[in-house]
Amino acid sequence: MIDSRLIEQIANAVLAELSPRAEVLSAAPYANASSGQAVRDITSEESRAEILIEAPCDPDALVRMKKRTNARIGVGRAGCRYNTQTLITLRADHAAARDAVMTDINQKVLDDLKLFTVESRCGSKNEFLTRPDLGRLLSDQSEIMIREKCAPNPDIQIFAADGLSSTAITANLPDLMPSLLIGLKNKNVSIGTPFFVRNGRVGIMEPVAEILGAKVTCVLIGERPGLATAESMSSYIAYDAKTGMDESKRTVVSNIHRRGIPAVEAGAYLADLLCKILRAKASGVDLRKEG
Amino acid sequence: MSYKSTLFGRTYTFSSIKEVLAKANELKSGDILAGVAAGSDLERIAAKDALSQMTLDTLRQNPVVPYEEDEVTRINQDSINEVVYDSIKSWTVAELREWILDCDTAERDMQRVSRGLTAEMIAAVTKLMSNLDLICASAKMRVRARCNTTIGMRGTLAARLQPNHTTDNIEGITASVMEGLSYGCGDALIGLNPVNDTVSSVSEVLKRLNDIKNRYEIPTQICVLGHITTQIEAVSKGAPADLIFQSVAGSEKGNRAFGFNGETVREALELLRRHGNSAGPDVMYFETGQGSELSSESHYGADQLTMEARCYGFAREFAPFMVNTVVGFIGPEYLYDSRQVMRAGLEDHFMGKLSGLPMGCDCCYTNHMMADQNDLENLSVLLASAGVNYIISIPASDDVMLNYQSNAFHDPSAIREALNLRPIREFEIWLEKMGIMENGRLTRYAGDPTFLLGKGA
Amino acid sequence: MNSKTITSVGIDIGTSTLQVVFSHLVLENTAGYFSIPHITFVDKKILYSGQIRFTPLKTQTMLDDDAIRRIVHSEYERASLRPEDIDTGAIIITGEAARKENAALLLNSLSGFAGEFVVSTAGPDLEAVIAGKGSGAQHISQTKGICVMNLDIGGGTTNIAVFDSGETVARGCLDIGGRLIRIEDGRIAYLSKSAAKIASSCGLSLKPGDVADMDILRLVCRSMTDILEQMAGVSPVTPLLHEVKTLGSAAFVMPNAVQAICFSGGVADCIARSDEDPLRYGDIGPLLGEAIGQSRLCSSFNILRAEETIRATVVGAGSYATTVSGSTISHHDDILPIKNLPALKLNQAEQERCYEGDSAYLAEKIRWFLGQNDTDRMILAIRGERSPSYARLEVFADCICEAVSAAMTPGAPILMSLESDTAKALGQLLEFKFGPDRTVVCIDEVHVEDGDYVDLGRPLMDGMVIPVVIKTLALG
Repeated sequence: MIDSRLIEQIANAVLAELSPRAEVLSAAPYANASSGQAVRDITSEESRAEILIEAPCDPDALVRMKKRTNARIGVGRAGCRYNTQTLITLRADHAAARDAVMTDINQKVLDDLKLFTVESRCGSKNEFLTRPDLGRLLSDQSEIMIREKCAPNPDIQIFAADGLSSTAITANLPDLMPSLLIGLKNKNVSIGTPFFVRNGRVGIMEPVAEILGAKVTCVLIGERPGLATAESMSSYIAYDAKTGMDESKRTVVSNIHRRGIPAVEAGAYLADLLCKILRAKASGVDLRKEG
Repeated sequence: MSYKSTLFGRTYTFSSIKEVLAKANELKSGDILAGVAAGSDLERIAAKDALSQMTLDTLRQNPVVPYEEDEVTRINQDSINEVVYDSIKSWTVAELREWILDCDTAERDMQRVSRGLTAEMIAAVTKLMSNLDLICASAKMRVRARCNTTIGMRGTLAARLQPNHTTDNIEGITASVMEGLSYGCGDALIGLNPVNDTVSSVSEVLKRLNDIKNRYEIPTQICVLGHITTQIEAVSKGAPADLIFQSVAGSEKGNRAFGFNGETVREALELLRRHGNSAGPDVMYFETGQGSELSSESHYGADQLTMEARCYGFAREFAPFMVNTVVGFIGPEYLYDSRQVMRAGLEDHFMGKLSGLPMGCDCCYTNHMMADQNDLENLSVLLASAGVNYIISIPASDDVMLNYQSNAFHDPSAIREALNLRPIREFEIWLEKMGIMENGRLTRYAGDPTFLLGKGA
Repeated sequence: MNSKTITSVGIDIGTSTLQVVFSHLVLENTAGYFSIPHITFVDKKILYSGQIRFTPLKTQTMLDDDAIRRIVHSEYERASLRPEDIDTGAIIITGEAARKENAALLLNSLSGFAGEFVVSTAGPDLEAVIAGKGSGAQHISQTKGICVMNLDIGGGTTNIAVFDSGETVARGCLDIGGRLIRIEDGRIAYLSKSAAKIASSCGLSLKPGDVADMDILRLVCRSMTDILEQMAGVSPVTPLLHEVKTLGSAAFVMPNAVQAICFSGGVADCIARSDEDPLRYGDIGPLLGEAIGQSRLCSSFNILRAEETIRATVVGAGSYATTVSGSTISHHDDILPIKNLPALKLNQAEQERCYEGDSAYLAEKIRWFLGQNDTDRMILAIRGERSPSYARLEVFADCICEAVSAAMTPGAPILMSLESDTAKALGQLLEFKFGPDRTVVCIDEVHVEDGDYVDLGRPLMDGMVIPVVIKTLALG
C-alpha cells in the first residue's frame, strides 16, 4: 500500500530528525540545574510559578489563584499573543512530550532492575502509533522468550511496557518496582518474573497472562504525555486476563509521577491492590461490585 | 451491483456503495486501520469519480448501516423532508457539489436542500470537495441557535471557555474561568470536562459556574460535560444546568458504547424543558469526532467520514445549541498528522453545517500525533474564515486534565482582530461594561484574571 | 463502598452559654475511576441543634459539672441518639470556662456520653478558626476569593480569625465579651479582670456592688470596641490591646488587608437591635453589640451575614474539627482509636538529617520528647518529601527504625503523620523492618504542628482513611 509506505517514510524522516537530539536529552532528563550557579531555566517550577502579568490588579489573589490549579494562568500577553517566555516554555514542554513518545527507553534502567526485553508485533515506533492492534500482540520470538525465561503460573505477573511514554518508565520504574516488591514480600503470594515490552499497548497483558497462566496480571505503562508532564505512568491490572476480554474488567491506577502519585507510594498502593484483586478473583467493574 | 471508473485506461471496480464511499475519502490513517482505505492515490480518485456519478436517491436507498438495525439511520431517514428530497433525488453527487458552490445558491437555498439530505449524501459530496471548496461552501452558511444568547450570527466568532482541572478543584476551576473571561472567552459556553463523573461533583461545579455567571451577570451558557445520565440526575436534583452535553457516534451501537441512545437525549430535553436553568429553546450540546466508531467497533465497515456525517444526522433531530468535532483528540491511528487533522476539521465543520447544525470545532492535537501548535492555529484561522460558530479555548493551549492542546485563551481575540470578527453581541456588551474590550479590541486590563474580582455583585 | 455518613457531636461550653449540636458528615471517594482513591467530606448537615442555655456555674468561675452532665444527657435523648451512635466530634470549652480544673471536671463527667471518639479540645486560637468555619466566614472567603475577618464575640472572649481565599492567615483571641460585666438589680454583680483593666484605662474604677450607670457601661463598651478596631487595623494600636490578649493566644499578625467582616457569637445578635432593654440579659452584651454597630468595624468594612451567630462555635466544632487522612495510608486497626497523642514535629533541617540517616539524633530527640511529656507514646510528625526515591525513603525508614528501637519501650507502636502523600510507602517499609515487633500507623495529608495533640479514630471507608482531630491542647 503506497499510502502507508508514504506515512512510514514521513515518520522515519521525522524520527531521524528527532533521535540524536533525544538521546542527548535523555542523558540528563530535564534535570533542574541546582549546582550553585544561577542557571536560567524557564521550565523550572520557579519559572512556571512566576506571574508574567506586569501590573495585575490584585497580585496576592493572582498568586493564590495560580496555587489552585496547574493550568497556565496569569501568563500575560503580547498583544493578542503569548509573551515569549510562555511561547518557548510551551514549545519546550511539547518537545519533551514528543521525545517521550518517540524515543526508546533508557537501557540502564532495565539493566538495573534486571528486566529482559521483548517486543510487540510493531516493528517501528511509527507502526506502533498507527497500528494499536499490533501493539497488543507479542512477536513470535518474544512469546518464545517469555515461555523460556519466566516462571509459569504465578499468582501475580508484573511487567512494564513503554506505551506512549518511555520517559514515564525511565522516571518511575526504578522507585516503584522495589516499593511494590517489598510490599508483596510479606504477603505469601507467588510473583512472576518481570520483564519489559517494547512498543507495547495495554492489551498486550492478555497474551502475556495466557502464555504464563497468571492469575493477576499487572502492566506498568507510559501514559500519553501531556504538556504538564511527559513522565506519567499508569498501571492496568486484570484478574484472569484473556484475549478479547472487556476493557471494563481492568482496574486502572493512573497519574503516577513526581507531581501526581509519587512512584514509591504507588508501588505500596499497588501491592495491596494486587493482593485484593487476587483474593477477590475479580478486577475492574467486577471488583467495584465486590467492594 | 458494481460501480466503475476508468482512469488512464485502467478500470477500477467497486463492489458496494460503502466501498466507493470509503475509498473516495482523503487519506486517513483510521481508514487504513479499518482496512477500508483506497490502496493507491489513483484508486482513491477513481472512487471519487465513481461517487461523483452516483445519484442522491441511490445514496438514500443504501445507508451504510441498515434502517432496521440502527436507530441513527432511522432518525436520519425519518427526518428527511420528502418534498425537498423529491426535488433533488435525481441529482448526482457532482451536481450537488456544483449547486452548493454556485454563486447563485444562497444560504436560504442551502438551508432548504439540507432538509432533504441524508448523512450519506452529505458525506459523499464532502468527499468530492477540496479544502477551499469546503471553506467557500461553509462560509455561505451560518446556523444560528439560541439558548441564553444567540450563537452563529454572521461576523462573530465565539469561544467555549474550558476551565478543566486535574481534580475538579472548585477554586482552581474558578481561577481558569476568571483568566478566560479576562481574555474575552466564554461567549459560547463556560463548560468543564469533569474528572469526577459523580452527581455530587458535577452539581458542585455547576453551582459554582452558575454563581460566577450570576455574580458578574455574564450573558452566556454553562455546562458540565459529565455523562448524560449523570447530568440528568444532577439537574433533576436541582443543579443549575443551561445545557446538557453528550458525545455522539454515528451508529446506535457506537452510542450504546457511550452509554446512551436517542431516548436518553429525549429524556434530557424533556427534563431541561421543565427544570433547565436557561432561556432556550436550544439546550443540547454534542461533541463528535472522526474515528470514534472504529474505536468502539461500531463502524459497520464504513469509513470514518461517513460515520461522522451520521453523527450530525442524529444530532440535528435534537436541535442542539452547539455541536463541535473534537478533531485532533483521537490519536494518530485515526488522524495521523496535521494534514489529516486539518482536512477532517474542514470536512466536519462543513458536514455539520450542511446538516443544519450550529457548528464549532475543538481544533486540537495530542502529543503522539505528528502535529504541533502551529498546525492547530492554522486550522482555527481556516475555520474562522469558513464561518465557524465557535472554537474551544483553554489556558495557554494546555488542557491539564485531558492532556491535549487546543486553542489558547489568547487565540479567539487574535483571530477576531485578524479577521474582523466579534464575540457574541450580548457578551461583547458585557465585556465593554467590564472594561475588557473596546471597539472589538482587548483593553489594557484584559488578560488579568484578578481584574474582574472586585467587580461582581 | 463509595460513600459513608458519620455522626458527629459538637459540644460548646462557653463562659455564658452551652449548646449541643449533632450533625451528619458525608465522606465520599471523589477520585475518578482511574485514580487512586481520594476520600473527603462532601457534605455536612445539622441533624439536631440543641437549645442555647446558660452555662450552669457553681461559682463565678467553676462549672457545675453535674448540671452540665444532665443537660448533655437530655440533649442526646431529644436527638434520639445514644453515645455509641456517635462517630466523632469535639467538646470545646471556651473562654474563661476553659480552666484546667473545669476541663478535668468535664472530662470526667462527660466521658460516658462522648461516644468512642469524642474528644475535648480547646485553645483560643483553634476556637477562632472553628468559629470562623461555623459562621460561614471561611466559606464565603473561599468562594469569593476575598479576605474575611470573623469576630466571634461571646460572653468571655472574642475569637478572631482571618481567612484569605479560605485559608487561615491569622488568628487570635481577646478577653472581650458580653458577660465580662454582669448586672443584678441595677448593680454590678461581676467584673472580669480584663473589664476592670479596660475600665481603668478610661479613668473609671468599677467594682462589684457599684450602681450600674448606663453611660459608664457604654463608655466601657466603646473602649472594648476600640480594641476590636485596633485588631482590624482601623484604629491606632494602644498598649491596652496587649493587656487584654487572652492567655495562650498567639501574636496576631495581620498579613493582608481585610475586605469584609463577619460577626458571630452571642453578641453578634445584638448588633442590629436597639429598642429593647439593654440589660435584658443581665450583662453588657447588648451594649457591646450597640457599640460595635456604631463603630468603624461596621462603617469601614463590608459586613457579611453569618450563617450561624451564637451557634457558630458549636456548629464548627461538630462539623469542622474532624478531618480525614490521605487515602493511601498504612495502619493496623487493632490499636485504633487512639486519643491525645502528643506530636513531635521535626523541622525541615531535622527531617533532612533523618532522610540522610542520622538515627542517633532522632533517638535523642524522641527520648527528650517522651521525657518532657512524661509519656511513652507519641506521634512523629514530618512534612515528608513530595516524591522521594525508593533508596532515600529506605534510608529514612532505617533511621526511624533504629531511633525508635533505641528510644522507645519495646512493643510501643510507631505512629507517624506526614504532609506529603508517601505514608503508605513509608508505613509498608516500616512494617517490613519492624516485623511483628511493633504496630505501625502511618498517615498522610495532615498538617500537624509541634506541640499539637492528635486523635486517630477508627478507620473508615474500607480502611482507606482515618478520621483525625488535631488539637492545640489536650485535656486529661
